[in-house]
Amino acid sequence: MSAHLQPDPSAPPYLSVVVPIYNEVESVERLWQAIHPVMEGIGKSWEVILVDDGSRDGTRAILRRLAAAHPQLRVILFRANFGQSAAMAAGFAATRGEIVVAMDGDLQNDPLDIPNLLDKMAEGYDVVSGWRKNRKDKLVLRKVPSKIANKLICSLTDVRLHDTGCSLKAFRGEMLRRIALYGELHRFIPALMRIEGAEIAELPVRHHPRRFGTSKYNLSRTFRVVMDLTSIRLLMKYLVNPLVFFSALMFFFLLCGIGSLTALLYMVIGRGAPLGEMNVLLTLTVVFWTAAVQFFFFGLIGKLIVTTGTRKTFLQIGQ
Amino acid sequence: MTLPATGSTGSAAAGNLAPAAAQQPGFSVIVLTRDNRDEIAGLHQEVLAALAAWSQPYELIYVDDGSSDGTWAELVRISRSDPRVKAARMRSSFGEASALDAGVQMATGSVLLYFTCRVRIKPADALNLLRQIEAGEDVVIGVRHPRRDSGLNRVVSRLFNGLTNRMTKLHLHDVNSGVLALRREVLDHVPYYGTLNAFLPVLAHRQGYRIAEGMVEQLPGHFAQSLYPKNYLRRTLDLVSVLFLSKYSKKPLHFLGFIGALFTLTGAAINLYLFIYRILGFGGIAGKPMLLLGAILFIIGIQMISIGLLAEMIIFTHAKEIKDYNIEEIIN
Repeated sequence: MSAHLQPDPSAPPYLSVVVPIYNEVESVERLWQAIHPVMEGIGKSWEVILVDDGSRDGTRAILRRLAAAHPQLRVILFRANFGQSAAMAAGFAATRGEIVVAMDGDLQNDPLDIPNLLDKMAEGYDVVSGWRKNRKDKLVLRKVPSKIANKLICSLTDVRLHDTGCSLKAFRGEMLRRIALYGELHRFIPALMRIEGAEIAELPVRHHPRRFGTSKYNLSRTFRVVMDLTSIRLLMKYLVNPLVFFSALMFFFLLCGIGSLTALLYMVIGRGAPLGEMNVLLTLTVVFWTAAVQFFFFGLIGKLIVTTGTRKTFLQIGQ
Repeated sequence: MTLPATGSTGSAAAGNLAPAAAQQPGFSVIVLTRDNRDEIAGLHQEVLAALAAWSQPYELIYVDDGSSDGTWAELVRISRSDPRVKAARMRSSFGEASALDAGVQMATGSVLLYFTCRVRIKPADALNLLRQIEAGEDVVIGVRHPRRDSGLNRVVSRLFNGLTNRMTKLHLHDVNSGVLALRREVLDHVPYYGTLNAFLPVLAHRQGYRIAEGMVEQLPGHFAQSLYPKNYLRRTLDLVSVLFLSKYSKKPLHFLGFIGALFTLTGAAINLYLFIYRILGFGGIAGKPMLLLGAILFIIGIQMISIGLLAEMIIFTHAKEIKDYNIEEIIN
């Protein structure tokens, strides 16, 4: 029915929907059945990209069958399990749409929200993030850590959202394709978009309880999230001039060095202690000064890295 | 881990042994030589005899890794006698990974068989590994059996295989046998520079390729001294870097941050203890070596975190060129 809307199948569609899939044999077909009518209803050209992250439970066979029947469904099959960031990166790289919507493959997001996201995007935002106002998860295990993480992520990445963890998000395609997702950075896409200078809004969305499969959430991620957060925070602040960050460290150790040198001089000159017995203070002074000098050079190396890197858009920070 | 910036889309369909076009070889055999003047003619005859059993077109490539004993002259003579034989010579000895790379650059087959003269295996056995590629495997490692090698080498090799298996959760019997059959596309996605060629199977496995093993008989002879123990020390360091690269290259702060935090916190705890000790008036701390320990741990910790941050900056500024994944197929 949308054939007349896509006279040229090679023309880029208006909307691309990206869904990473991993071992979702029970829900993948329902997912497609939920997305498909919504797509048909938006009245614009569209494509759906399902990225299979190396499933081993028969998901791939279903994906092949669905893709064979629906030309607007594109399927990317990974050779092995490379993680959610990699799956989203591959999906985003394959998109051609003016607007890109990302969502989870576990049916907890509702495709019916996509038209609302598109309406909000039409107001001129670059990112519209879903906000699960009524979460359907077990309270303690998911909601509380998620709340804390959200607060932390928001305050440190300068992105004001109630729910950064919600996977249902809409992006300006051209800007999204500029960012690089790697490691486990899929949790920080709004922050990465912020670095590109994005205007970010949020919109309440529906949220359903998980019906199939098990949640891939566990608490041991905390440390990794904190590390990624540190890295993003520092990248956002110091990517333009890492020398500032490392100079601060340098001054800290310089102060320590001056302090221990003062103590050493006081002991030797003021109290007349023999220098030979001041091994600890002497070594400490040397170590502090060495560290200070090293941090200065770290800063220089950082400067070297960011200025010779291939990424030139970092100048947009702070716009 | 994939090769950076090769521009390959990774969308190559799961290739089979390419149905040999008219003159394109179905497979390429790459033989590395180094100072093998006396053996090379005999080896060549054995390889030819083994190849005679194959109906597919093939090419045979000798890569001489900077021999100084006249091996090259022998290879020139051999390659002139047969159009299917090519020979290349490294300007000096650059090591097996570079020689392998040179061979791969020259090879036109979609399936490659590679072995080095240093391990003296039966060429017919090596060629048999190609059967497993035909059966659908992506990488087949030759396992030297029976192995004719010095006892020490065998023990060290065994320890090394055990260590590799333990750290990679694979079950391989001869990781670095120097005999390998593989699909060409594997090399497009797996970095094997430096001395990492020894870990090609491990790296390929991480990219999701199918790994198998096949027996190759090792021939007796004065070549049996294939590897000296000191090489194993280097290989172990390589193993560590392989694991680091494949696990943390996209998130260096996860690794360095963890170790750094450990050091920093230990150092901070020691200094806090000393601070309280001093404040409560138990005595001076300036002469205590513990103060030094605390300070140094603290500094090392912060330095590690800083190095991790620098690594994150490197990754962040180059992230667009690095592909974190390997696509088997794109439909539609």
